[in-house]
Amino acid sequence: MLETQQLTKKFKDTIAVDDVSLVLRQGESVGLLGPNGAGKSTAIAMISTLMKPSSGDVKLNGKSVLKKPGEMRRVLGVVPQKIALYEELSAYENLKFFGRLYGLSGNELEQRIDYVLELVGLADRKKELVKNYSGGMQRRVNLAAAMMHEPEVLIMDEPTVGIDPQSRNHLLETIRKLNQDEGMTVLYTSHYMEEVEKLCDRVYIMDHGKVIAEGTKEELKAILSDQETVLIDFDQNYPELFTKLSEIEGVQQATAEEHSLKLIIPKGTRLLAALFHEAERYGAQVVNVNVQTPTLEDVFLRLTGRKLRD
Amino acid sequence: MKAVFLLQWRRFYRKPLLVLAMFGLTVIFVSVTAAGGQSGPQMIPVYADKSMNNQQAQTWIERLNGGEQFQFELMSESEARSYVAEGDVSQAVNLLEADYRLLVGREDPARFALDSFLRRIYSEELRLENAEQTTPGIRSEMESALSEPALTLSVESLQGEEDSFQYNGQLQLLFGMTLFFVIYTIMFSLVRIVDEKRTGTWSRMIISPVRKWQMYLGHLGYSFLIGFSQITLIFLLFRFAFGFELGDRFWLLIAIAACYTFSIVALGLLIISLITKPQQLGAVIPIVATGMAMVGGAFWPIELVTNEILLAVSKALPITYGLQALTSVAVYGNGLQAVAIPLLLLLGFGSICMAIAIRLMEWRSAS
Ligand SMILES: Nc1ncnc2c1ncn2[C@@H]1O[C@H](COP(=O)(O)OP(=O)(O)OP(=O)(O)O)[C@@H](O)[C@H]1O
Ligand SMILES: [Mg+2]
Repeated sequence: MLETQQLTKKFKDTIAVDDVSLVLRQGESVGLLGPNGAGKSTAIAMISTLMKPSSGDVKLNGKSVLKKPGEMRRVLGVVPQKIALYEELSAYENLKFFGRLYGLSGNELEQRIDYVLELVGLADRKKELVKNYSGGMQRRVNLAAAMMHEPEVLIMDEPTVGIDPQSRNHLLETIRKLNQDEGMTVLYTSHYMEEVEKLCDRVYIMDHGKVIAEGTKEELKAILSDQETVLIDFDQNYPELFTKLSEIEGVQQATAEEHSLKLIIPKGTRLLAALFHEAERYGAQVVNVNVQTPTLEDVFLRLTGRKLRD
Repeated sequence: MKAVFLLQWRRFYRKPLLVLAMFGLTVIFVSVTAAGGQSGPQMIPVYADKSMNNQQAQTWIERLNGGEQFQFELMSESEARSYVAEGDVSQAVNLLEADYRLLVGREDPARFALDSFLRRIYSEELRLENAEQTTPGIRSEMESALSEPALTLSVESLQGEEDSFQYNGQLQLLFGMTLFFVIYTIMFSLVRIVDEKRTGTWSRMIISPVRKWQMYLGHLGYSFLIGFSQITLIFLLFRFAFGFELGDRFWLLIAIAACYTFSIVALGLLIISLITKPQQLGAVIPIVATGMAMVGGAFWPIELVTNEILLAVSKALPITYGLQALTSVAVYGNGLQAVAIPLLLLLGFGSICMAIAIRLMEWRSAS
């Protein structure tokens, strides 16, 4: 129902979004993954008619929204990355205003406010001022505000950043319900792979403004199907050893964390002998070795050479 | 548009402090400062220099008391000083033989008027004395004319204007302060637009079915109404609660207030279209407000300004025309015809600012 065609946005010195073509089908839940600065928010700004693309097009039900944004503005709800609310007003007052923007009034408006407040679990605290809410509660109102007009398509730009696990679960559960029970089409942007794994049927991975991979979770993982992830824990940090190990033949990707090293290798690589041999030479103690099948996180790492989060 | 407009009132209800402060400051400033010269001419203590005898001093007092605005009273130096020291009056005059000194206790806008009044009387007298040296007997001829001070006033005017300059300290203060403080109220209301762009609520509105001009109109409508209400309430308050004499064309004062408010709203919009950082606006707005008020005659009457450059600048400021129109109606008792030109200038000024501001904003958001 919604698609972008070769969407591109150039700023003075950067190409924030580069030739991006996405498709959202009715009732689908799609994830958009990418590290900081990948161009996710810029893409969303163009899809939501906030920003004009340098080139390319955005279509809703086959019709371009660039010249006629009206229809898109009626059916689309956007949860911005930054909390965009009137702090000095209560949650109720904020929702009332955003409802009015969409022409709601009277009883209908009140009922809708009650409904979305119930949805995000803030019905009993609606009279409190937004500035007195916790970060998590503000995030929930931020979502509720985008829900006031019963959008057919909901775009969320990292809606769970900086919120406590409880609020986060509540939010994810809410979104899942909206998608599965009410058939709302969802585009979900996140740094958190687990969230996307849990919520989304399909995933686009963006980096440096480009879509570098797309597909269902299974399809994406298949990229690494002939590979495995080896996680090795040591008793302490050995920078030189880690460098040495990542240079072993066959290692495609190595990431060091404090006491551990993560290697992505082709299935069947004979790693362990070399590993213990090198560890011996550096006097390092191997605490644990764990061989896993790849996660989306690993796919991402493999594709971009970077982690999702810094 | 209605939603955006109503929202602003809701926000005012939740955070009324700034507007109330501007309202309160106006009331306090005007009522406290004007309390000194409530009604009738202002009393000015006068003491003579030792070089003068009592007779001479009396003659001077008579000369000075020809005007209507001030009531000069001769007394001893110590008496005059204690008047000023205790703050009963803001200033006293020390008479010298061919000159005078002002003893100033506290700043009072009336000082400029007093100074210019004294200067006029003195220069007249000195000219007369000069004339006497070449044409003996001229003094006695002039004496009768001089004892008719009203005549003196209208014949000799330093500004060389047709209308003699009437100074009403109370109203000058009321109009000046009202038009000055309302600039803050209006411009800080408009800063909300900048704030919304920063916090992202503006983007939320843009991606809703509400049109951009409706968003602007909602904000401008609010800023206009809050500023206009402030002026109107203050005028009502001072007319009915403080008994200020505002002339008998109150509706015309309100009409002037509306035109002035419009011009300031437009100017504010122009400023926020040029300067888009809230912190910078926090500095620029006071500078603009104070600068305009000083040059435009809100702090002291523009009639006392003689600097050509300042006078030229004042011609480009809406506050100048606002004050001019208000004074014309309330002090000189003029009607709509007399203020039509300042009103049109205010509206024209506002329209031009608004047009430039909208162009600038559109150009910015397009790029
Ligand atoms: N208004 C702008 N002017 C200039 N450059 C911009 C502008 N907005 C974004 N960019 C640049 O475009 C690139 C993409 O930014 P964008 O915000 O879309 O990334 P993102 O994927 O949403 O990142 P994050 O995960 O940190 O939110 C960045 O390099 C950013 O600096
Ligand atoms: Mg972003």
